Amino acid sequence: MGEPAISVLGLRKSFGDKEAVRGIDLEIAGGSLAGLVGPNGAGKTTSLSMMTGLLRPDLGRVLINGLDVWGDPVAAKAVIGVVPAEVRLFERLSGAEVLEYAGRLRGLPAAEARSRAAELLNVLDLAEDARRLVADYSTGMRKKAALGCALIHNPSVLFLDEPLEGVDPISADVIRRLLTRYVGSGSTVLFSSHVMELVEQVCDQVSIIDKGRIVATGTTDQVRGGKTLQQAFIDLVGPRHSGEELSWLGFSSS
Amino acid sequence: MARLLVQLKMRLLLNALRSSRGAKVSFIVSSVFGVLVAAGAFVLLALLRGQSTSVDLTTVIFMVFAFGWLICPLIAFGLDGTLDPATVALYPVRTGPLAAGLLAASATGVWPLANVIGLLGVTAGLARGPLGLLVALVAVVLQVLFCITLARVVTTGMAGLLRSRRGKDLAVFLIIPIFAGYEFVIQVVPRLAASGKLTAASFNGVDAWMRWLPPGMAAHAIKDASDGHPGTAALRLALLAGVIVAVGWLWVRLLGRALVTPDTSTRSSAVRGTALPFARYGLRGAVAARFWIYQRREPSSLVTWGITAVIMVVVSISALMKQGQNPGVLIANAVFGAAFVGYFHANAVGWTGPPFVFEAMALTSHRSLRAYLTGQNIAVGVIAVPVLGVLSFGLALLARRPDYGFLSFAVALAGLGAALALSNILSITAPYPLVQRPGNPMRRPADGYTGYAALGVFANLIGVGVAAAPLIAAAVLTTGVASPVRVPVLIVAGAVYGLLLSWAGVWIAANAAEGKLPELCQVAARSL
Repeated sequence: MGEPAISVLGLRKSFGDKEAVRGIDLEIAGGSLAGLVGPNGAGKTTSLSMMTGLLRPDLGRVLINGLDVWGDPVAAKAVIGVVPAEVRLFERLSGAEVLEYAGRLRGLPAAEARSRAAELLNVLDLAEDARRLVADYSTGMRKKAALGCALIHNPSVLFLDEPLEGVDPISADVIRRLLTRYVGSGSTVLFSSHVMELVEQVCDQVSIIDKGRIVATGTTDQVRGGKTLQQAFIDLVGPRHSGEELSWLGFSSS
Repeated sequence: MARLLVQLKMRLLLNALRSSRGAKVSFIVSSVFGVLVAAGAFVLLALLRGQSTSVDLTTVIFMVFAFGWLICPLIAFGLDGTLDPATVALYPVRTGPLAAGLLAASATGVWPLANVIGLLGVTAGLARGPLGLLVALVAVVLQVLFCITLARVVTTGMAGLLRSRRGKDLAVFLIIPIFAGYEFVIQVVPRLAASGKLTAASFNGVDAWMRWLPPGMAAHAIKDASDGHPGTAALRLALLAGVIVAVGWLWVRLLGRALVTPDTSTRSSAVRGTALPFARYGLRGAVAARFWIYQRREPSSLVTWGITAVIMVVVSISALMKQGQNPGVLIANAVFGAAFVGYFHANAVGWTGPPFVFEAMALTSHRSLRAYLTGQNIAVGVIAVPVLGVLSFGLALLARRPDYGFLSFAVALAGLGAALALSNILSITAPYPLVQRPGNPMRRPADGYTGYAALGVFANLIGVGVAAAPLIAAAVLTTGVASPVRVPVLIVAGAVYGLLLSWAGVWIAANAAEGKLPELCQVAARSL
């Protein structure tokens, strides 16, 4: 295991009376593909927002490749790429324009930004829709465009919040292979997801978050402890409802 | 089915009262406005009693109501869930009962009631005698029924479009003519009436063609019955009823088709060119390119430019009519126009919305923040300078003082610099989230932030006025200087002064933004 690419120390965040993140400590090794899983409202998105410099924590530190996200945001932001859970791109730009804009915001020369945008659109199967406005893209296409924007400056650490939600299986497979190749070159990915099978398949490290706390972390094998990740997750977080209350469900109405 | 849909409509109306403060306030304001319209229309129609033009004016008022029913549902499409056939397409309901239910739902609410009450003013105005009164009651019912079926045909026929991105864009553009019409009625009509250019006689003969339209038939039926021609009145009402049946039949056909037609959502078209402009100018050029594209492609941006132009034109015409040809109005109007450009761009973070988070990832230094703000200003300036120029010279020609076009343009340039500076500073120091409420195609400040928007208006009006004062003073003090010398000097001075102001605004705003990006991202993320 290499040096930690992402170090999170005692991260906390409250919104009014609600404590969304209650002191997270996390270490993700460089060159790993790590998963952050948890039920709805567990604090995944809040944690990722604080790790990427988009939400100021109440307490705690985040280091990316040793750079303090809140102490030196300039240097830290330069080495990361982010795909937020709710992708909101510039709706009135075309797919090609939005990727080129992302590249130019990141300081790439115009020609380089344009050529990388074209290559990424091609790999992400968006080349045919490159001239269409993002406003007319489906959810999956927006996710892919957002991933392209996050990758265009070749960051060393990538944060992805629910990256494959709404993405068709073929594109999902392309993205999985792209991420695997990306990690193979020494870069790091931290992504949150609800899909346990996906996390189990692609991640070498997993952390489970519940009610604002990390309840398990380690290699995927360590966390699942001989069970499936889905079962390990349910055992740790606990089922909320059995569904047996709906006694009428399943009997056909006449 | 009718009862269920009426109950649904009532529930939707009551829920508006139980939801957020903003929704509650807008419902109450809408209801109060409805009561005022009802009372106003009733009184207006009643006051026409005995006037020679009463039937012409009644026809015009009936037409205005029908036009309102035609336009308002297009804008308020998302507001009334019962307007969209897609909301009931999933349920096993036959078209006939569904049409009756939707018609009943349409007739439920403050506005349909306000229509009936307002139009009943004809019973005290145009109608005379028992027969006239009876026909007036039938005519009002048929007129309201016609309005409802007409509105239903349009919304059902256009439901697929109105649900799509293009339809929503179209609805936004309707704001400009409605706003222009409103401004014309508020600002120009009273002055025309005061100057004697608009009187009741101006409406003489307008019903030569309107009498053959359904609202005209309703009004003329009342007149015929009152004049002792019951046969003609009955014929007109029968014709009107026939039109309603035909429109209703068309609506049922459209509804049947809409229920089984898949949501085509949006047939998108490709944009021309794939590259962003201003490639050579780094981050500043990239931001300017993005803003430039948004000014052209984002309907609400185009609408704000349209509203700025309408305000300048209407206020100028109105002021010139009041104060004769006093050209000082043109100078004041240049300040006014520049201030509105500033106001409409004084919340760039809120207008950009969640994608600002995307930009914020790259705004890592004072230099990049300056480039970002300058890029915005370039895009706004590229549009504002010609718009303000055309309006300055156009209005000066209208006032028959073309020389004042140059002076007001010089003031506009200085004012624009101040407006850009203020908009940059306010965007960073007083940003607020914008939300789009169902039924309103334009975004509004989120609950609790209305004061921020008011601050934007007043800060720009006062700030631009104060900042432009030196140039106005220079223009006044140099009246004795020959125009070939005075005009170019003032225009160059206005431009240089404006550039200096905007440059200062960029620096101040960039200083304020440093270390504040997470908070700005939070505001942006709350915009919808």
